[in-house]
Amino acid sequence: MKIGIPRALFYFRYGRFWQQFFNHLGIETVVSPKTNKDLLDIGLKKVSSEICLPIKIVCGHLEWLKDKVDTIFLPRIVELNHGLYSCPKMIGIVDIARMQVGNQCQILSPKIKNNFIFAHFLLGLNLTKNPYKARKALNKALPYLNNHKTNVFDNHKPKILLLSHFYNLEDDFIGQDIKAAFIENGFAITTKEVLDQTILNSANGFAKNIQWIYERELYNAFHYNLTKVDGVCDIISFGCGPDSLVGEIMNQHANQNKVPFLQLIIDEHTSKTGLVTRIEAFSEIIKRKTYTTDLHK
Amino acid sequence: MKVAFPCFGYETISLKNFVENLGAQVCLPPPLTEKTLSLGTKYSPELICLPFKITLGNLIEGLRAGADTLFMAAGARKCRFGYYHYIQETILRQVGNGHKFYPISQYTPFEFFFRKMPSIFSVSPVRVITATYLLLQHSALIERFRNYIRKARILDFNKSRAQEKHALELLEHAKKLSQIRKTKEAIDKLFDKTKIIPDNTIKIGLVGEIYIMLEPFANHDIEKELGKMGVWVWNQRSLYRHLKHLLHIDHLGIKYKFQASPYLKDSPGGEAINTVGEARSFIKNGADGIIHIYPFTCMPENIAFEALQKMSDDYSVPLLSLSIDEHTSQTGLLTRLEAFVDLLKRRKMITQKPKIQNSKIKT
Ligand code: SF4
Ligand code: SF4
Repeated sequence: MKIGIPRALFYFRYGRFWQQFFNHLGIETVVSPKTNKDLLDIGLKKVSSEICLPIKIVCGHLEWLKDKVDTIFLPRIVELNHGLYSCPKMIGIVDIARMQVGNQCQILSPKIKNNFIFAHFLLGLNLTKNPYKARKALNKALPYLNNHKTNVFDNHKPKILLLSHFYNLEDDFIGQDIKAAFIENGFAITTKEVLDQTILNSANGFAKNIQWIYERELYNAFHYNLTKVDGVCDIISFGCGPDSLVGEIMNQHANQNKVPFLQLIIDEHTSKTGLVTRIEAFSEIIKRKTYTTDLHK
Repeated sequence: MKVAFPCFGYETISLKNFVENLGAQVCLPPPLTEKTLSLGTKYSPELICLPFKITLGNLIEGLRAGADTLFMAAGARKCRFGYYHYIQETILRQVGNGHKFYPISQYTPFEFFFRKMPSIFSVSPVRVITATYLLLQHSALIERFRNYIRKARILDFNKSRAQEKHALELLEHAKKLSQIRKTKEAIDKLFDKTKIIPDNTIKIGLVGEIYIMLEPFANHDIEKELGKMGVWVWNQRSLYRHLKHLLHIDHLGIKYKFQASPYLKDSPGGEAINTVGEARSFIKNGADGIIHIYPFTCMPENIAFEALQKMSDDYSVPLLSLSIDEHTSQTGLLTRLEAFVDLLKRRKMITQKPKIQNSKIKT
């Protein structure tokens, strides 16, 4: 049995864990290649144009995997940590995938509802019929769950917080151009992925009202960094429901605190030049602002 | 206290009577118009879904009409709807001043009955429970009326208008239980039950997002337009069912969840599972076509969209997907509806002549 994992969506958070887990179970895994134009174009044909970019990308990856493996792993993450839901499309993508690949291969999708680790144990048990092996594989893989990157901040550079889902920023196809443009304009970049889970999941202040897992992370990262950075750039996909709301709330809060806030809306038609121009203009605003506040000091 | 809340199609009457039964005065905003929508759009975030914009415009107009207490449904789970009020509250604070804004959570019945409503209206919990019971009864009546009017429109469209007007007047005055009972009889009498729908009538199942389906302004009065074309519209969505769902007594919901299971194994939130389940059971009951109507970029309905596409292929039943936003034009919509109905008529003529076994449906 060969298990295919799409290099998209949840892969960027849990991918290493899954690979380790399956390898320790003695199952071969195939990960689809990095997102590229061709994969996206295939994905575009598979779903309605209204859907957000990350979902279109997943569909491209599924199509690539479907004739190379017999099983595709795509868990249905419904709820994590009690009362924190994922977005409707993340739940529905499993059904879309099933309809898309048809009989050609099987979709392995454990339902995760407040039992992330136990669901994986059950999955391992199901695949190997051996509880000890399943437990061992799980224990070996667990350390890979938190992939922390340390932040190297250059204190002389102005700091920018790039706010977006991990599957946007860490997918080079989407995130690279944006990051590069900020670096080119002389910024040090920070993202939410470098923060500790306790900060990201904290339920203090307004964050407790947000019941989407990853949106709460975004808001907490925003809140934590608000006084520490010179500007915030929120990157959202066109058609993304949760971001359109939480992005607006963050925008309001940033305005109240007089922190420059840029919202970049991306879809499959977004051109690199357009992005770069907007980022340049935004950098100018930040630089002018820091310059004037430095004068006042 | 002058209360305003966003309109919700015919069901507005039920909600209005509910508030009045709690002893408050209702100050309804003027009927929804293009002005409401452009007002709402002006203050809304750009990428938000249509119900946000309409309800916001509606609340602003309510304020302008003199309301001092605003209500909005809340209660967050997987979809945006539960978060509307956070942003709307901020916006409304800029627009009006001195008013009160109460988000009413849908998923906490205990708090609703025993804390929130009693404290807002200064009444006893018993009165809230009675009023809610009456609300259920009244919304059941509205559902009944809507089922009648759909049939009445095909039988005689001009007459149905007069009937509608008459019935709405009756419904407005049905506040107490005895009045609701009497109104029910009156409405039964008003719509002649004996007349049956001709066999060759085109039947279309309407599914989609609940707000768009229930609010005629939001759906450009699609049911009436279809009725005018002689189409029998099937629609299973109503406030009554939604309330029952919230009280966990909606048996239809379980049925539709089962019906949807070949396509959606789990609810992605919102109304997607109902949309898919209803569509499948409409098809099984012999609907000639399905119309799927939803706000542009609506997340659950986008998922349902994919399922319906597949279903339409599997059962070879035509599907029309209408995604509505503030730029949707009435004329464009009408043209698409007409074309769709024409297609269904042509198909029906072909399939009816040789009487092939179109009842066998594969799963
Ligand atoms: S959170 Fe937004 S971008 Fe992510 S899957 Fe949901 S709608 Fe798409
Ligand atoms: S169901 Fe659709 S229209 Fe309603 S809040 Fe969710 S995304 Fe918006």
